[in-house]
Amino acid sequence: MALADASHFDRLVEFLKQKRDNVTFHDIISLAEVSAQSLQSFFQALDAKIYRELREIAQYIESMKHEIGALQVNDLKNSRIPAAGEELSAIVRATEEATNTIMECAEALMAAGASDPAAYKALVDEKMMVVFEACSFQDITGQRIAKVVETLEHIEQRVARFADVMQAKDIDGFLSSHERSRAERKEKLLLNGPPLAGDGVDQSGVDKIFA
Amino acid sequence: MAIDMSMPVLVVDDYNTMIRIIRNLLKQLGFEDVDDASDGSAALSKLREKRYGLVISDWNMEPMTGYELLKEVRSDPGLSKTPFIMVTAESKTENVIAAKKAGVNNYIVKPFNAQTLKTKIKAVFAE
Repeated sequence: MALADASHFDRLVEFLKQKRDNVTFHDIISLAEVSAQSLQSFFQALDAKIYRELREIAQYIESMKHEIGALQVNDLKNSRIPAAGEELSAIVRATEEATNTIMECAEALMAAGASDPAAYKALVDEKMMVVFEACSFQDITGQRIAKVVETLEHIEQRVARFADVMQAKDIDGFLSSHERSRAERKEKLLLNGPPLAGDGVDQSGVDKIFA
Repeated sequence: MAIDMSMPVLVVDDYNTMIRIIRNLLKQLGFEDVDDASDGSAALSKLREKRYGLVISDWNMEPMTGYELLKEVRSDPGLSKTPFIMVTAESKTENVIAAKKAGVNNYIVKPFNAQTLKTKIKAVFAE
């Protein structure tokens, strides 16, 4: 910060150069006057500079408050994210129920005797109808997934805008010790989760490694 | 080497549906004595209580993963020879290689079918 402009002190320096010997009380008073006059202009410049910087900081804070408001964090925290969580839980329940229903049908057919073809056919028809009904979960889960995707897009758009406006830089590290220990566990135990298509090896690739 | 179909098999997975699928497939293959556990530590307890002829385990479970279970089994003199097949969605090359180094007998990538399970079990007992 270049606040200490040399020109503020020129008169003071000039005075000191002229008066080096036989310093009187009058000289001291004069020195004080020159000092006060020189520093006055210095402090005026300093005030203007600080005022400008404080005004810029205030504008930045105001702009940041606006951007944080645009993030709609309370709406995300209180409404959208919990709703998305409920949708995902409902999807898990629906797929689990459908899977159980289908598996029960399969197990019933596997256990059934085929000595009476007509009875066996009737059982197959009945269980197949139950399987068809169970498969209707796919339509509803598709709609639920669409709602979750919409929420993710909503968050993505706001976070991306916020990051751009704030020129945010990522800081390494973790928010909590729990987050750190989860990340370390994943790395240590190779918990990568199911890869996307083309990102992992298929069974033939595995078999080559074991060959 | 003929497979002893009466040998107890331990299926380890944290999803009941997957346990049910593997149990049914094993039943179709002729295995009748099938137990299950929901994670590595529960499996380890069962392995120390009963002599199993085969372990079929998922990888990603809590608190103890299938990978940790595999290493525990291989380091335990009483269990180290137990055939161990990993059945998992963890299909990155590093996972497969790590499991092989840790001593897994075979590795099946989810989703899988009955034929794959049958082939891998046969391969393990042909070793």
